Amino acid sequence: MPIVLENLGHTYQVGSPFQATAIQNISLTIADGELLALIGHTGSGKSTLAQHLNALLTPTTGRVLLDGQDINLSDASKKAARFHVGLVFQYPEHQLFEETVIKDIGFGPRNMGLSQDEIDARVQDAMDMVGLPYDEIGHKSPFELSGGQMRRVALAGVLAMRPRILVLDEPTAGLDPHARDFLLQDVKRLHSEGTTVVMVSHSMDDVARLATRVVVLERGELAMSGPPREIFSQVERLTAMGLDVPAVSQLAHGLRAEGLEIPNCYLMEEMVDALERLLKGGAPDVA
Amino acid sequence: MLRDITLGQYYPVDSPVHRLDPRTKILMTVGFVVAVFLVTELWGYLVVLAFLALAIYLSRLPIKMMLRSIRPLRILLIFTFVLNLFFGAGGRELLRWGFVVIRDEGLNNAVHFSLRLVFLVVGSSILTLTTAPVTLTDGIEKLASPLKRIGFPAHEMAMMMTIALRFIPTLTEEADKIMKAQTARGADFTSGNLKQRATAMIPLLVPLFVSAFRRAGDLAMAMEARCYHGGEGRTRLHVLKFGAADFSALAAVGLLIFLTVLQRRVM
Repeated sequence: MPIVLENLGHTYQVGSPFQATAIQNISLTIADGELLALIGHTGSGKSTLAQHLNALLTPTTGRVLLDGQDINLSDASKKAARFHVGLVFQYPEHQLFEETVIKDIGFGPRNMGLSQDEIDARVQDAMDMVGLPYDEIGHKSPFELSGGQMRRVALAGVLAMRPRILVLDEPTAGLDPHARDFLLQDVKRLHSEGTTVVMVSHSMDDVARLATRVVVLERGELAMSGPPREIFSQVERLTAMGLDVPAVSQLAHGLRAEGLEIPNCYLMEEMVDALERLLKGGAPDVA
Repeated sequence: MLRDITLGQYYPVDSPVHRLDPRTKILMTVGFVVAVFLVTELWGYLVVLAFLALAIYLSRLPIKMMLRSIRPLRILLIFTFVLNLFFGAGGRELLRWGFVVIRDEGLNNAVHFSLRLVFLVVGSSILTLTTAPVTLTDGIEKLASPLKRIGFPAHEMAMMMTIALRFIPTLTEEADKIMKAQTARGADFTSGNLKQRATAMIPLLVPLFVSAFRRAGDLAMAMEARCYHGGEGRTRLHVLKFGAADFSALAAVGLLIFLTVLQRRVM
């Protein structure tokens, strides 16, 4: 069930004085079971790209293929793509509207035309997945909940459609550290249970913790793509693009510049191991 | 999806007309409207046309823009013309074709009303094309401030207009985002019958209202935090000032009105 982007490009407001090209020449294959992180500077086209994955935006050039089928062929194919590819927007809690949490989460499944039993089952399932107690908050108004809970309701609203591919646009923006950890664990679990995940993020530490592949956009074009280890080892190049690197990569880079023998690493555990080895093995003199 | 809505028609170029004080431009527009209605003879419109042409020339607006402002009026124009033409009751009979009778008074009215309509729309669109909405509200506030004495809340009105104008693009963007988010959950805003479509708007309208109230609360808080307490004793960053250009522009409108009044006397 891969998504293939062929030479994708999007220009906003073609033919008006406000015409602006957001992305161009993007060719990318998102394989099953990947947890792909999409990073880039503000305005690099990350969100625009994400909105092509479920046909919310129609490409100006190129195609988006899901299972080898162009998803923009007809209104029906667009709608079908939206049930396979779930997109969670930035600040998704702003889209809640129903009287109760259960009804809100059931909005997607209702639009799919499922039976009431199936809808109930899916809502319960989705709430379990994001760790919301069904009996306790299911009948509350979503507007009574805390920010972190609201975001999980919104996430559950997309998960209830059982998408095979989940696209998250800045899922942790504006969350406190606790809520953020909780949400990232949800994402990790979903991925380990077989959902393909595409995550747009500014937080390199989130990306380092989760991603199996990192794709870097710069000014609407594909700049880099590879495993996180490879991408985050290029500290200078990322910094030149105005991007952060994970704290651990930064530290490793700094220590290497000081002449210490630290391998390329981006995870905390790796850094701890490397430092331990260095200290036990009689470190070279550091002035 | 909703991006194509543009707010106002402000056309940003630098021209003598753009630089005029907004109060001058508002007064000129009022004066121009008066002049258009004072004209009684067809040749009188030549004076108005000359004035308008001069204003357009000085404002450096593309003629295309001006013509575009008349376009939405086509139907109304045709309606006005046809109604007046066929239903003018008095005057000499010019043409009779079956039950259709055209009299000279009807023809006269048809031409007058249509010309007036075109002049009014083009004239007032020069105001909105050359003045940014916020500048325009500044001008309205200043012009209305003498009315404060009789209790008219000029500053509050202007502040409300400014805030409303400021938030139109923000809310448009927000609506676009929510619409996409609900579309991603399979909502359909474009098909179905009237009732289905109205129901489909709920998932858009509820979050939009919630967000509008949230923004209003935030804005009120931010304004209070910066000690906003209404118009009393408030100074401005851009002080409106009449200059030589403003006086000559007003004199020009004065002349226009004088000429149209003269035209009535002559005939």
